[in-house]
Amino acid sequence: MRRISLLAATILGSSLAVAVAHAQMAGHEDRLPGPVSSEAYHADPLNPKFEPPSPSSPQAPGVNAANLPDDPEIDISEVPQMVPQVSTNPAPADWPAYGRTDDQNRYSPLSQITPANVGKLKRAFVYHTGSKPAPGQANKWAAETTPIKVGDSLYTCSALNDIMRIDAATGKEIWRHNSGVKFDSIPYTAACKGVTYFTSSVVPEGQPCHNRIIASTLDMRLMALDAETGKMCEGFGFGGQINLMQGIGESVPGFVSMTTPPPVINGIVVVNHEVLDGQRRWAPSGVIRGYDAETGKFVWAWDVNNPDDHHQPAPGKHYSRGTPNSWAAMTGDNELGLVYVPTGNSAADYYSAMRSDKENAVSSSLVALDVRTGAPRWVFQTVHKDVWDYDIGSQVTKFDYPNADGTKTPALILPTKRGQTFILDRATGKPLPEFPVEERPAPSPGVIPDDSRSPTQPWSVAFPRLGFPDLKESDMWGMSPIDQLFCRIKYRKAAYVGEFTPPHLKKPWIEYPGYNGGSDWGSMAYDPKSGIVIANWNNTPMYDQLVNRAKANKLGLMSVDDPNFTPSSGGAEGNGAMSETPYGIVVTPFWNQYTGMMCNKPPYGMIEAIDIKTKKVLWQKPLGTARANGPWGLPTGLPLNIGTPNNGGSVVTAGGLIFVAAATDNQIRAIDMKTGEVVWSDVLPGGGQANPMTYEVNGKQYVAIMAGGHHFMMTPVSDALVVYALPDDVH
Amino acid sequence: MADYGRPSEIGRIATIILGALILLFGVIFLGGGAELAALGGSWYYILCGIVLTASGVLTIKGRLLGAWLFLLAWAGTLLWTIYEVGFDGWGWLPRLFGPTIILVLVLVSLPALRRRDTIRPTIRSAV
Repeated sequence: MRRISLLAATILGSSLAVAVAHAQMAGHEDRLPGPVSSEAYHADPLNPKFEPPSPSSPQAPGVNAANLPDDPEIDISEVPQMVPQVSTNPAPADWPAYGRTDDQNRYSPLSQITPANVGKLKRAFVYHTGSKPAPGQANKWAAETTPIKVGDSLYTCSALNDIMRIDAATGKEIWRHNSGVKFDSIPYTAACKGVTYFTSSVVPEGQPCHNRIIASTLDMRLMALDAETGKMCEGFGFGGQINLMQGIGESVPGFVSMTTPPPVINGIVVVNHEVLDGQRRWAPSGVIRGYDAETGKFVWAWDVNNPDDHHQPAPGKHYSRGTPNSWAAMTGDNELGLVYVPTGNSAADYYSAMRSDKENAVSSSLVALDVRTGAPRWVFQTVHKDVWDYDIGSQVTKFDYPNADGTKTPALILPTKRGQTFILDRATGKPLPEFPVEERPAPSPGVIPDDSRSPTQPWSVAFPRLGFPDLKESDMWGMSPIDQLFCRIKYRKAAYVGEFTPPHLKKPWIEYPGYNGGSDWGSMAYDPKSGIVIANWNNTPMYDQLVNRAKANKLGLMSVDDPNFTPSSGGAEGNGAMSETPYGIVVTPFWNQYTGMMCNKPPYGMIEAIDIKTKKVLWQKPLGTARANGPWGLPTGLPLNIGTPNNGGSVVTAGGLIFVAAATDNQIRAIDMKTGEVVWSDVLPGGGQANPMTYEVNGKQYVAIMAGGHHFMMTPVSDALVVYALPDDVH
Repeated sequence: MADYGRPSEIGRIATIILGALILLFGVIFLGGGAELAALGGSWYYILCGIVLTASGVLTIKGRLLGAWLFLLAWAGTLLWTIYEVGFDGWGWLPRLFGPTIILVLVLVSLPALRRRDTIRPTIRSAV
């Protein structure tokens, strides 16, 4: 079929100029979970070469990247009362947290830039972070960074976790902290989504480390720096940092990483981490931990399979392995004393028979942990017994839902890769009455022996679904009838009974929505004034198949901590060994592998506005043009708005504009919030796979986007933070 | 041979190439379409493949009927497209864009085919 496809494509070379989307799948940098007793460990009987180390073996050299001593533990009563933080009620000019405020709604009250004048927006400056692949290095870069802004400074991080303070008006670097993260510590992706601004409750104003930047690293350190000077805070941990690999047990560099800004809630800084997907059943733990934000001392852990033990493991012990990890940005709630943790899957995403009941209760869920104890107060599950990698990539957004009687309910918006959006009561975790959740029948019990699927799955029936109807054969696409025919055959060869088609061993199955969403880590923007939600999402099915262990070995799949592991042995996104289970996994986009074009018809990415009061879609548009996409990865140069896969969220402003990049056409654009029309755009020096932000300094509004690119989205990598403003004569 | 002149020689070669192209489509449609039908998919490709294969062979042979068969396949494809996807532009692109380019080539080559078709008996009687 390969020859046929290529020949046909050559024949129809003239049709290449027609807009065709290059099938680029978004990058989710997921991760896997993990616990377990060593008795449960089963070596591969077929070939000892494919045996990962025993889960009880010691950590490899370099895993404790800075060779830091063990962190002491303190009681919650020793954590001082937290002073009010900048991010709780920020000045309109500021953007002091990843999603701007503690609500993480990506809404700015700035209004200098409007649909009327946005056409005159120009680059104010470009700042270079200095982090991109060196010659000869594999491209694992996707910075995904959103700077924060407090006062007259931006604070940001490079893809390898150097921390910088930048003059927000000029782009001049004020200080830079070199974090020394090594290439080997990059997991699936070198990403740093942002840093956290924290004001100390014990260090007086004017003293070093009164205001701090708290940052996490790919090599699992938590650092605190003086916001003024960039010097490490001596009062935090050991010389300003702590080792988060303590208690994790056996691991190698790059297996476990942090890519999100850790939230501080009532004086507790909470950390989660990604664990590389697809490696082994007994991957390192997905434990969530709380530390004193003042001293870095350990306060609590939430370890899924040891739910009653909130302490650090004794020397030689480790947190339970294989448990669901959490790699998305978390949201804090000072009033309720909660941290909202979006969870992923237990390790070995596509096979669930070896998961504990405790894991099944909290995977692919939103878990509200009490920040004083680390104990769950409530759990809301978005997928039961997930074997589709529908882990939650989005950060939740807090808002107050206006009830009919004039009262307000503290609520949150929970986006998912399924395109289901759940609206929950923050105090109880229950869906708001206006947004009921129905358990609907799902394909079960499935075909894999001893691994039955859930008979039902939850649907948020009142909130508009971000997705299209189930795929039909006639939805198959291509440049010509011949590649369309190829995709039709591929469609018919696979198992597919709609959403939640269970995993198959003897033939491929279609996973739709794909693991890139729906909504991924870009999350949603919410305008609390108008009650309008802005959501961008993907329409990119996947083509999956389980393979037995002998076949997995033949494919050379092995876990990242296997002594024989090489970069061709499988990674987080594609094929995975899933060692210590009966099966490996083969995953590709549902595409024509010879042209690199998706098999389903466009659009592949959308953006829409939803009124949360009326639950109506105000407008819905394809997001992204064909200019940088085409068959065989060739750019067509066409401005046709085909709708590309996208990664990265949006900003909504009081000026009536939405700023979003995300799409694979490497553009940032401004969209008129009322109409959904693109009213301004600019071509970036790299892929805009990051959440933009906006701020004001000296009376001028700026819009910033990290054009870091994304290796998996196949967009150009750059180290440029591009910042826009109106010329002086416009405003 | 001198009677036929250069223009018709070019026309002859062009129609043979065009016929080969249509035949190629036809054969791929037949092969792929058989696999698709066996998997429970659409029968369009087999049916269209039969017509295209015949069209390709006849066009190579210089028969005007080859062109008419291609027109038939194209018209059928248009109706099938409307049946499958209505008037969705993205749905029309793979189904009709390439075939329409070939349709234009077929229409352009009609005079040459007509000439070949009318002289055909002469050649045969001369042999």
